[in-house]
Amino acid sequence: MTVHVSPPEANLDPEPLLSVAGISRFYGERIGCQDVSFDLWPGEVLGIVGESGSGKSTLLRCLAGIDRPDEGEVLFRGSGQPLDIYSVAEQERRRLMRTAWGIVHQNPRDGLRMDVSAGGNVGERLMDRGDRHYGKIRERALDWLQRVEIAENRIDDRPRQFSGGMQQRLQIARVLVSEPRLVFMDEPTGGLDVSVQARLLDLLRVLVRDLGLAAIIVTHDLAVARLLTDRLMVMKDGRVVEQGLTDQVLDDPHHAYTQLLTSAVLSV
Amino acid sequence: MTTMIHVENVAKHFTLHNQGGVRLPVFDNVNFSVAAGEALVLAGASGAGKSSLLRILYGNYRPSAGHIHITHAGRQIDIVSAVPRTVLDIRRRTLGFVSQFLRVIPRISALDIVRDPLLARGVDAVEAGERAKAMLARLNLPERLWNLAPATFSGGEQQRVNIARSFVDPSPILLIDEPTASLDAANRDVVVALIAEARAKGSAIVGIFHDEAVREAVATRYLDITDFRKAA
Repeated sequence: MTVHVSPPEANLDPEPLLSVAGISRFYGERIGCQDVSFDLWPGEVLGIVGESGSGKSTLLRCLAGIDRPDEGEVLFRGSGQPLDIYSVAEQERRRLMRTAWGIVHQNPRDGLRMDVSAGGNVGERLMDRGDRHYGKIRERALDWLQRVEIAENRIDDRPRQFSGGMQQRLQIARVLVSEPRLVFMDEPTGGLDVSVQARLLDLLRVLVRDLGLAAIIVTHDLAVARLLTDRLMVMKDGRVVEQGLTDQVLDDPHHAYTQLLTSAVLSV
Repeated sequence: MTTMIHVENVAKHFTLHNQGGVRLPVFDNVNFSVAAGEALVLAGASGAGKSSLLRILYGNYRPSAGHIHITHAGRQIDIVSAVPRTVLDIRRRTLGFVSQFLRVIPRISALDIVRDPLLARGVDAVEAGERAKAMLARLNLPERLWNLAPATFSGGEQQRVNIARSFVDPSPILLIDEPTASLDAANRDVVVALIAEARAKGSAIVGIFHDEAVREAVATRYLDITDFRKAA
């Protein structure tokens, strides 16, 4: 006797947004990352954790189109045909990075133009995308500044007049305003005070959910990973040693290295 | 009656690689099923593996062997081998976990926490808000707290927010771990009533209850985990 009304079949997308196969990058003899493969589906948030030097940032740079891997391929299914991002022309890859992707750098100075106003930083991405109507661009820029909790009267200020936390929120607005399908984040809360981190994390969590973004987040902070990600990959010495649902990996770690990582966390 | 959970030859051991590779066996060859409308209460001494089993059913712990077939949207899916996004979909629509601990998210109000599962299942915002308020009221959470983030609430208040969230729209399967641990008698009775109502609506329930009165009020069947412990 079941009286539950079955909810409608969820729209589980039939195809992954990103398919990564056998990615390796070497620095001479040294391994950056080796033989990494995974699929990422629309709306999924994947965390990459591991200590510094484990290869997680190298991997992110390969995935995001910044550094060409020595082996392997990255297939992106934005619309229509899957695109092998390293076999297309440089120009095509750059266009993709400007429109369908977004990259949030650990240091906001790497993602912002420091001599351009806050409004200009956000509006620029829209112009890159082809928007030309000044009034609409300013309106959308304003809307996004509000969403990341930057007061309206700061729109003409330059990022260097902002605190670190505000700069990071501005960078996030700049990345998300063009409505990317996939966002890469490298330690998005690194270098911020704990109280500022909490606010930023909450903001990211809500934005990712509301926009249905797929995201790949590199972090060494397991609490950040637990709050923001659906899935985790644990990296050590350039290789993925364990992966799965975030709460599985953190609550029932199987690999020796993951057990070490999770047991090293001080809880407050 | 529809079988909602079918557990097949499940075993669990933990290997502690950083403590000399110690291997801790928990249980072996666990087999049982739970149908819609049943409440199976797990029995066994502390440390027997009741919570571990509950976490395995939720896809949180990974069993060392065996399968857990969950009836999800009319199909049986093995949650042990399912890919992460399928596990998340099963949890969103079919499988709820009620613990005594609330995972507090900074800046989210109690009302939003309770409303969230309704929104995720497509209930409109106004109705979701009304149902969430009714549930918080039923669990005697003072109205002045509803719009505050629970980080500063007492343990019992946080626990009631968590219970409200779990029972505002009970999942077809409810896994319940000590829900009444720090509640007073009045609120404990509310929880017992909520569990009974969910069961009457067809939820399949698997739970752990230390309080004997609660256990007897809730259970339609018992399973002693000790029976599955194997000699190490």
